[in-house]
Amino acid sequence: MSGNTSNTAPSSDSTDDPVRNRQRDSAGADESHVRVEQIRKTFNDGSVVACEDVNIDIDEGEFVVLVGPSGCGKTTTLRCIAGLEQPDDGRIVVDGDDVTDAKPKDRNLAFVFQSIALFPHMTVRRNIRFGLDMNTDLPDEEKDRRVEDVAETLGIDGMLDRKPKALSGGQQQRVSLGRAMVMEPDAFLLDEPFSALDANLRDQMRVEVKQIQRELNKPMVFVTHDQEEAMTLGDKIVVMDDGNVQQIGTPHEIYNDPTNLFVADFIGSPSPNLLDCTVVEDGGELRLRNAAFEVSVTDEQAAVLRERVGDRVVLGVRPEYLALNDAETNGAFTANVDVVEPLGDRDAVHLSADGQSLSAVTPQGRVGRRTDEVAVEMEIERAWLFETDGTRLV
Amino acid sequence: MSTGSSLGLGDVEIGDVWTRFMTYVVLTFLVMVNLVPFLFIISVSFTPPEAFFGDPSLVPANPTLEAWTKGFADLRDNLVNSAIIATGTAVISMAITIPGAYAFARKRFYGKKVGFYAIIVAMMFPYILLVIPVMDIWNSTGLYNTIPGMWIAYQIFVTPFAIWILRDFFQKLPQDLEEAAQVYGCTQFSAFVRVILPLAAPGIVAVGFLAFLTGWNDFLFSNLLTTGVGPVPAVPVLYGTIGGGSGERVYWGKLMAETLIIGAPPTVLYLFARNYLENAFAVK
Repeated sequence: MSGNTSNTAPSSDSTDDPVRNRQRDSAGADESHVRVEQIRKTFNDGSVVACEDVNIDIDEGEFVVLVGPSGCGKTTTLRCIAGLEQPDDGRIVVDGDDVTDAKPKDRNLAFVFQSIALFPHMTVRRNIRFGLDMNTDLPDEEKDRRVEDVAETLGIDGMLDRKPKALSGGQQQRVSLGRAMVMEPDAFLLDEPFSALDANLRDQMRVEVKQIQRELNKPMVFVTHDQEEAMTLGDKIVVMDDGNVQQIGTPHEIYNDPTNLFVADFIGSPSPNLLDCTVVEDGGELRLRNAAFEVSVTDEQAAVLRERVGDRVVLGVRPEYLALNDAETNGAFTANVDVVEPLGDRDAVHLSADGQSLSAVTPQGRVGRRTDEVAVEMEIERAWLFETDGTRLV
Repeated sequence: MSTGSSLGLGDVEIGDVWTRFMTYVVLTFLVMVNLVPFLFIISVSFTPPEAFFGDPSLVPANPTLEAWTKGFADLRDNLVNSAIIATGTAVISMAITIPGAYAFARKRFYGKKVGFYAIIVAMMFPYILLVIPVMDIWNSTGLYNTIPGMWIAYQIFVTPFAIWILRDFFQKLPQDLEEAAQVYGCTQFSAFVRVILPLAAPGIVAVGFLAFLTGWNDFLFSNLLTTGVGPVPAVPVLYGTIGGGSGERVYWGKLMAETLIIGAPPTVLYLFARNYLENAFAVK
């Protein structure tokens, strides 16, 4: 399935079935493990809408990433799932049980906090054991065994008797993961868990978390504002903005086929080129005219644009679909080279043409440091077209 | 450079020497201001009355325990009263202000801001203004000249201060910690008991100590709300030793001994609570 817009529920067959929604569902194979249905949450007596119409289905063993700019409602959504916020409307279903009104402790979900939130007055061991001590009647040996297993998995078994303060940031976040893992919860909820760590450690922790999730085969909901982190981690990505879900899909769907201008702009680095164009008809052929260039469209695009001659649309094209050649050769248009930004095996080239900024990604060294001007060729068949209000046309 | 400064005089700036010198001058002065009177108090408490009015010296020629034994005999019952009053004051104020301050720190309720400032403003009144209404009310409610009466009277000025301090303490603790506790099996209340209370211990001990001190050291209320037949605490007895301002002969040795006896329990308590107190008021 490609992206869903905010107002249509994800096309899982269970969500529209009222009978199933009322009572405890049988745990069928096609059943979503965690379901967020029509969540709405406001703050300050309704004056601030944090999230609205949020529908997310999370399957057993699925890694779901909620991504969006700060204030988009992703953390609020996660906190609603955890029970740390009470939604104004909607339901949360975990493993077939409606837990919308359940206390956080009764949901069997584990939450990993951005601030890590270890209990500073307890040792690492007691921190990890905390949930078992509070919420289970397991014998002590079983608790100890679980704590030690988890500590070993996370590589913190030598630190069990230290206080959190004596640990580095990465180790602390591992303890916090351990505190979640010993509970053997129905799902893990992680709220930007690595934002306090430095870049190298963050990459390493990402890999570890994904491995852990694969091994445990439990659903994980991960919140981040970093689209790159979202792309690398998620089986399913939920892009949110302004309290609404903009699109739900696999990383490739989100990247290749954004449902609207926001998703297109938000995902991918450098950001796609979004260019204002006018639809013109030239001897029966439809073309897009911009201050800098004019391109003919594909048949598929033409079919949509046929009715819109004279309208303004936004042409979106990823930097990697702009090809740069020597200025002398024939291209769609020429542009000035502002900055070349090496990204490793590729270079990001920032261009300007007739007052518009563009960026392109080229193989390393394609554009020399002294190059002033290049000819730009656009792969129009890989471009998207949007209405000026952001809705995707084609 | 700091290494080997004792040897390499050439590296030491004259300004550094001057700063260090002035530091010690100021320190010495401050220590003396506190220590000299204290030495006199100790000295006088061991000096026989004749020697005091005759030819006193810092180290008494014929030291005597007379002032101490007499002073202690006079104070014994009152010290017990003081202990009950001060401990009760501390316990009751904790029972009121820990939940109160937590509510002001974390909960949302109508009139929170106004309520908080009303409590703070109550602190601005000089206590003496309260004497007449308090005596009046205590008389008519039967609290006058009783230990519970004293406990409640001290709450008037202990609780606002305690709520103020503790509210800041609770506010500074990250909310995530309580939420983490709730996710991992606590109710709001057990999260408070297991996570917030231990972390707020420095503040709670500090406030409890100050409440105890108030109950122990106060003179105004203890003198006005008790009579000779009631639970008179120790401090008003001290006032009696001075002669109640009557201008009669003052037994200075006994006065000094009683001062030291009354001062001893809070000092011991302070030594126990010291680590907490330093955490509570340290700038973080």
